[in-house]
Amino acid sequence: MKKLIIALGLITPALLFGQLDRSVVPSAAPAKAISIADPVVFKTANGITVILSENHKIPKVTFSLAVGNGDRIEGKKAGLSNIAGDLILSGTSNRSKDEIDAKKDYIGASINAGARNMSLSCLTKHMDTGLEIFSDILLNANFPASEFDRIVKQAESGLMAVKSSPESMGNNALMTSLFAGHPYGEVMTESTLKNITRDDVVNYFKQTFVPEGSYLVIVGDITKEKAEEVVNKYFASWSGSILAKVDYPSAKNLKGNRVIFVKKPGAVQSYIQVAFPVDVKVGDANYIPVSLTNHIFGGNGFGTRLMQNLREDKAYTYGAYSSLSIQQQGAYVAASGSFRNDVTDSAIVELIAELNKLTNSYVTDEELSLAKAVLTGRFARSLESPATIARFALEIERYGLDKNFYKDYLKNLDAVDKEKVLDMAQKFYTDKNCYIIVVGNESVLDKLKQFDADGRIEVVDAFGEPVQDMKKADISADELFQRYAMFLTNTKDAKTRNKVLKKFKSVTQNISMSVSQIPFPLKSVSFWGLPNSEVMTIEAQGMVVQKTYFDGKTGYSSNMQTGKTDLTTEEIAAKNKSTGLIPEISYAISGMKYEMLGIENQNGTDMYVVQLNDGESESFEYFSTSDYRKIKTITINTKGGEDAPGEITKTYSDYKEVNGVKFPHKIVMSAGAMTFSGEVESIEINKKTIENFK
Amino acid sequence: MKKLFLGIIAGCVSLSSMAQQKIEFVEYDLPNGIHVILHQEKSTPIVAVSVLYHVGSKNEKPDRTGFAHFFEHLLFEGSANIGRGEYSQYVEKNGGALNANTSMDRTFYFELLPSNQLELGLWLESERMLHAKVDSVGIETQRSVVKEEKRQRIDNQPYATFIKELFDRLFPNSTYGWQPIGSMEHLDAAQEEDYVNFYQTYYVPANATISIAGDIDIAQTKKWIDKYFKSIPKGQAINLYRDFLSLKDDAFKSKYGVDKSIFDSKDFFNSKNAKAKAMITEYTNKPTVINRPAKPTEKPKTAEVVTIYDNIQLPALFVGYVLPEQTNEDMYALEFLNSVLSGSSSSRINKELVEKKQLATMAFSFAYGLENAGAEILAAIASKDASLDEILKELDAQIEKVQNELITQEEFEKVRNQFENQAVTSYSTISGIGEALADAHVYRGSANYVNDELGKYLKVTREDIQRVAKKYFTKDARVILHYLPKEDKESK
Repeated sequence: MKKLIIALGLITPALLFGQLDRSVVPSAAPAKAISIADPVVFKTANGITVILSENHKIPKVTFSLAVGNGDRIEGKKAGLSNIAGDLILSGTSNRSKDEIDAKKDYIGASINAGARNMSLSCLTKHMDTGLEIFSDILLNANFPASEFDRIVKQAESGLMAVKSSPESMGNNALMTSLFAGHPYGEVMTESTLKNITRDDVVNYFKQTFVPEGSYLVIVGDITKEKAEEVVNKYFASWSGSILAKVDYPSAKNLKGNRVIFVKKPGAVQSYIQVAFPVDVKVGDANYIPVSLTNHIFGGNGFGTRLMQNLREDKAYTYGAYSSLSIQQQGAYVAASGSFRNDVTDSAIVELIAELNKLTNSYVTDEELSLAKAVLTGRFARSLESPATIARFALEIERYGLDKNFYKDYLKNLDAVDKEKVLDMAQKFYTDKNCYIIVVGNESVLDKLKQFDADGRIEVVDAFGEPVQDMKKADISADELFQRYAMFLTNTKDAKTRNKVLKKFKSVTQNISMSVSQIPFPLKSVSFWGLPNSEVMTIEAQGMVVQKTYFDGKTGYSSNMQTGKTDLTTEEIAAKNKSTGLIPEISYAISGMKYEMLGIENQNGTDMYVVQLNDGESESFEYFSTSDYRKIKTITINTKGGEDAPGEITKTYSDYKEVNGVKFPHKIVMSAGAMTFSGEVESIEINKKTIENFK
Repeated sequence: MKKLFLGIIAGCVSLSSMAQQKIEFVEYDLPNGIHVILHQEKSTPIVAVSVLYHVGSKNEKPDRTGFAHFFEHLLFEGSANIGRGEYSQYVEKNGGALNANTSMDRTFYFELLPSNQLELGLWLESERMLHAKVDSVGIETQRSVVKEEKRQRIDNQPYATFIKELFDRLFPNSTYGWQPIGSMEHLDAAQEEDYVNFYQTYYVPANATISIAGDIDIAQTKKWIDKYFKSIPKGQAINLYRDFLSLKDDAFKSKYGVDKSIFDSKDFFNSKNAKAKAMITEYTNKPTVINRPAKPTEKPKTAEVVTIYDNIQLPALFVGYVLPEQTNEDMYALEFLNSVLSGSSSSRINKELVEKKQLATMAFSFAYGLENAGAEILAAIASKDASLDEILKELDAQIEKVQNELITQEEFEKVRNQFENQAVTSYSTISGIGEALADAHVYRGSANYVNDELGKYLKVTREDIQRVAKKYFTKDARVILHYLPKEDKESK
């Protein structure tokens, strides 16, 4: 067979069909000028700039409103605009949220809202009903308190999730350092979220959603006359003036490279970003050539420099990319990727070497033409969506671009030559003044010093706040465990403590859990029994979706999706290292490996940090330095499959006494993007045995 | 789980459209039998180039299932002039995107390209049609890819065999009894010869519809279509040529009784040898016989409830009824009926079974239209402790309700609105239009059906919905499946 293929290969190039030589790949016809129809633009008396892009291809119409007020410093209430955006659709003085939903469903419409925008999409014939709801929300949104509480709760879960996502942590570190003193550099944290009130949201909405300076982009099956009519009918009574513009400092350029590190305990990969500000605005003279330059460097695709070097050649990563982010008030480039721990330093060396190469030599003709082809194709395909046309029209108006900017986009893209690319690289790219942000395992920290201009690495937390170095602990881990047990049992010595604990033969905790992604509450039961049995179940709508069972000798875990798996010998051995109601006091004899790491300050609270290893997994326990209560546990998953979350964080609070022993009544667990908020509803002592859970 | 099911449903149901705008197009046949449909839409400088081959899993032999879908993979391997793996490179390097899909009735290939690359797209598709690589290397590569696909999409998904299990019984001894993914054992057992035969039977010009939509110049497009497709030989001459390329001298001689050398290897179709000329003419006039299965005729196997043990935790109920073929007028009312039953969160089955009675964690229904038959499928995944018999009783109660009473006017309007909005959106892309035109030509005998469809839907009345509910939802002609957890079987 193989021979045949070779033979075939030899004959075919010569084959002809009449006049047609099929081995000749057709060449492209000249690139077409794009016919983007000129939008109609008019201003209303109350200051809305209406941009109409007629398109009668299908009988649908979309209204997208973007207010003119930009990002502002939110300070102690950072995150206010996001909370407000999430709440806009939750009711008006005329309609409840349910009524809004029912009415828009009846006409098959969709309505969305964000911090500075709102949109409606529906069939043209239902436009009036759609606009009636839309304008009711815009004019009369009333932010019910119950909805406010729900959204805040959701945001709390979101913040928990940030701490386990290297990308979110890296992005927070990047924005806070690049844009210090600028709204882009503000990040919502647990403490800023606490400062946000419903009144703030109401005021924010009133001040921000004003007609003056806003843009209403209408795309689709509607004429100019009709557009004027409905804008007048539904938006004329909307009032308010735009806030005075505030100029914020631009992103900070560096002299020398600066390394910023975010600790992610147990990480097996480092998420690395090499970033620097660029002075480019949407649609300015450098916009197209610098976009092309960035694509060659590390745009989406296989043929880019970063991909070829770091994945194809070195195999350091699954993917490495460079993003060019140009926003209204600032722009930057960030080359990034996730790299296994032992190549963290080598990866940074290569990223910097690639930046050096880009700024010192021409790109090849092949690189240039591939990049042009990919960008041209993507641009052209994107035009099919009316949303793209709307975005172009908005940008032309908002940034005062040349009317033909997008019509000439492809022509200007094609005109970029390798001299221009080098010029862009030299103007905007740097290998010497970069923010190098690494989210990873502390073990890689030493290798990073070489990259920092002054050799001093800044360590920040998940939200970009500086972290002080860990202090040396004043007590040993054994001592801490004893004090923790005394805290729980209200005792002063081991003897009375043991007396208290002796009364406990079993503890069953009934917990109700809410998860932001799941609309109904979950029930969890957690059982512990002497000498060392434990069971944990999670129920959803009456069904057990997950269960782990251990009777002291054998056990299993079962899951609705993956079925039942017996515990391995190793897992059983690990479980036997945590015995008793307060496992910590037995660690010294149970075979658990543990080490006091020191005192860490997080969000203003000093905590002892103890590292544990039971042979199956590594974990970190955090205890208060003032009363020794346990605050949280981070367990690192190294054995699970690819889908398993990398780490699980449990925080404990609201300690209350039951039969003389304190139990935390609030337990929040976050794993990957999921956050389970648990409230302990009841604790039963000595009521159940392991037999109840078979 | 919901997502999963929506995925399965999306794969089965082609949403009929209600676009109000008239879609203009040009259509004609080439002498070799290819049907061409051209739709000009100049607003965006892109073009969708597609070829529909009227071959799906229903054309397969019962011991060689999975072939049609397998070809959807194999035919990206390359051609006489396109190297292995180069198909996608050509498209991506020129700013395009490509894909393909296979149903029980047809296989569909398409490229989405910048419109100045139309000629490239036509060349790529003509290479696939004329002399694609059907050889052991490609077959081996794609066998493992398809096996992974089956593991991921069928074997590893709960309940994912329900279509096969239902269709096997709704249409006994017909070729609708299996899913396009087919049997991996059949693919393994097949010889290279089987694959070559499949290619030579179904991948011929007379079985192809070219549909081009987008920013095209009609006259120039016709010229290019002539250039790349008119030259594709008619009748069996294409297979004479393909054998000339792929068979060794002695194999060719034993099949055709002549030496390969009588043909001109540089210019096959202009071979000077008299015998060669005569043979080319003879084979040009020999039509390709395509196996077109007839409508299933046997009654469904409804005698007993079928129990299937699967890797699941929650039992599930699937009920299938036989519906007419997709071109039957009753299908419009049946689609409306299904929207009333389960089209949105406020629809009847969802409200009653899931929210009020809480018998099911989820429930859905849909009308599955095919070229030669159709199937109504109702399904529910049980809540803990709910019995499948109870669920069936409640489903029956819902069906009896639509059989006995007209749906409310408000329900009727809501469903029309939702349906229409969804449908309009499906004609918003040129690739959607290109595919709809090709489907309409092949299934309805007229591409212009895309312009008539809305009227057909708008004619549906509340009385029609009641009528079709009575006509097709008959208790004595349905198939009932019980999906139960495997553990239940082991414990028995």
